[in-house]
Amino acid sequence: MLKVENLHASVGDKEILKGINLEVKAGEVHAIMGPNGSGKSTLASVLAGNEKFTVTAGKVEFEGENLLEYNIEERSRKGIFLGFQYPVEIPGVTMANFMKLAVNEQRKAKGLEPLTAAEYLKLMREKSAIVELDAKLTQRAVNEGFSGGEKKKNEIFQMAMLNPKLAILDETDSGLDIDALRIVATGVTRLKTPENATVVITHYQRLLDYIVPDYVHVLYKGRIIYTGDKSLALKLEKEGYDWLINDYKEE
Amino acid sequence: MIEKRICELIAAKPLPEGGRITDGGWYIGEYGDCDIVVTTGSKAILVVTDGDGSSDINIDVERGAELSILSLVTSHSAMNLAVAIAEDAACRMTQVVVSSSDTRVVASLMERGAEFDMNGVFLLVEDDKASVTADVNHMASDCRSNTRVKGVATGKSHGSFAGLVYVAPDAQRTDSVQSSRNITSGEARIETMPQLEIYADDVKCSHGATVGQMNDDAILYMRQRGLSLADAKRLQIEGFVDDVVLHSVVEGSEAILAELLAEKLSKM
Repeated sequence: MLKVENLHASVGDKEILKGINLEVKAGEVHAIMGPNGSGKSTLASVLAGNEKFTVTAGKVEFEGENLLEYNIEERSRKGIFLGFQYPVEIPGVTMANFMKLAVNEQRKAKGLEPLTAAEYLKLMREKSAIVELDAKLTQRAVNEGFSGGEKKKNEIFQMAMLNPKLAILDETDSGLDIDALRIVATGVTRLKTPENATVVITHYQRLLDYIVPDYVHVLYKGRIIYTGDKSLALKLEKEGYDWLINDYKEE
Repeated sequence: MIEKRICELIAAKPLPEGGRITDGGWYIGEYGDCDIVVTTGSKAILVVTDGDGSSDINIDVERGAELSILSLVTSHSAMNLAVAIAEDAACRMTQVVVSSSDTRVVASLMERGAEFDMNGVFLLVEDDKASVTADVNHMASDCRSNTRVKGVATGKSHGSFAGLVYVAPDAQRTDSVQSSRNITSGEARIETMPQLEIYADDVKCSHGATVGQMNDDAILYMRQRGLSLADAKRLQIEGFVDDVVLHSVVEGSEAILAELLAEKLSKM
């Protein structure tokens, strides 16, 4: 589904990604871990198409197409979803209105008719239940006055509404208490199908108790320096990154 | 016609001879100069729409009366609207400006207990040029005013807001709020000139003015969900001006005003 080869990206003069290689197949869950400042969020932003970053080398293929040719909204319509680490507040714009536009854009890209009001309401009800999101929140302005937990649930709610092929979740677990974490993670797991894939960026092994990854990658200084299975996350939790980083330095 | 739909909503009648109005809905269409009196204790709604040209409107709100004004500026026009508010009377106003124009509202709180509230918005695109003035004169004690004007300028448009809150020497216990919040995009410009002139010592006056750009993070967020850049900008502006529409002084006019703004935004 997603094939990243030797991806380099910069912001301004500063190179942050220094040759990422990553392949994600349908049905897989990948976790990306790594110390602060290693480039995890940048990778997520670059894949989503954030124009703040410049791709200086490498290739990204998504379902056989050159993803880098498309802008952020085109990538979204092709089925890429980014769960934001810091969801943005949009005063005066209700969740319901925002999502209606978004869902219908996705449908238009697939050559489908816009949803009727009744179909849309039904979809919202169904999907908000997945993350136990209070239906009242959909009548409020996007993320405005939402608690940290509500904001993150709201990200997964949007993911459920848009039904992406590839979801990239950027530290969806940060700032969550145990209950919210369980709800968010369970939501993600319930959305998993053999046709879609998830890339989870996280600091903590905790999240991976719920979202069981097929692969765990360690990102350090803009490169993936190690890839293992779910047991790697446990080892990192116990021992930290030092052993890997030291190994890496010696190379 | 938007004006017509709003007039129908409140069953508005044309101004009577002599300009004395009582309970009910009234309109000044294609306004020329006129003098209006809202008689003691009555509750009136006045719809003011413009035609090309200039006009002077003078309104007296008599003791205990309540006047709601919905002012729609959709043509190239110049309007001077002066409203004098008597004891325990109130004037509430919603103003929507979507065209190159010059509008000036002067509210004078003449006797104790008078109140004035204004929620305004100007929305400019392409090479529109508009100026909005909202002056409030607190001439007596124990009066309250609240003036909030939002401005949006896109394209190469140019907007300006000026607002003076004047508090006379005897106008003790004045309670006044004035705010001017603006966003611009592209080459557009907005100037805002809020002013306070206070000659009484026991007053509560606050004013604030901001001019900012569109929120790029919010636009990025919306685009990531599949909205085009233009739709994301439009939605953000709609959200910014939404409260003016929601607080319209004419109940039931919200959807019509939203439509007026959306139509303007489609030219962005």
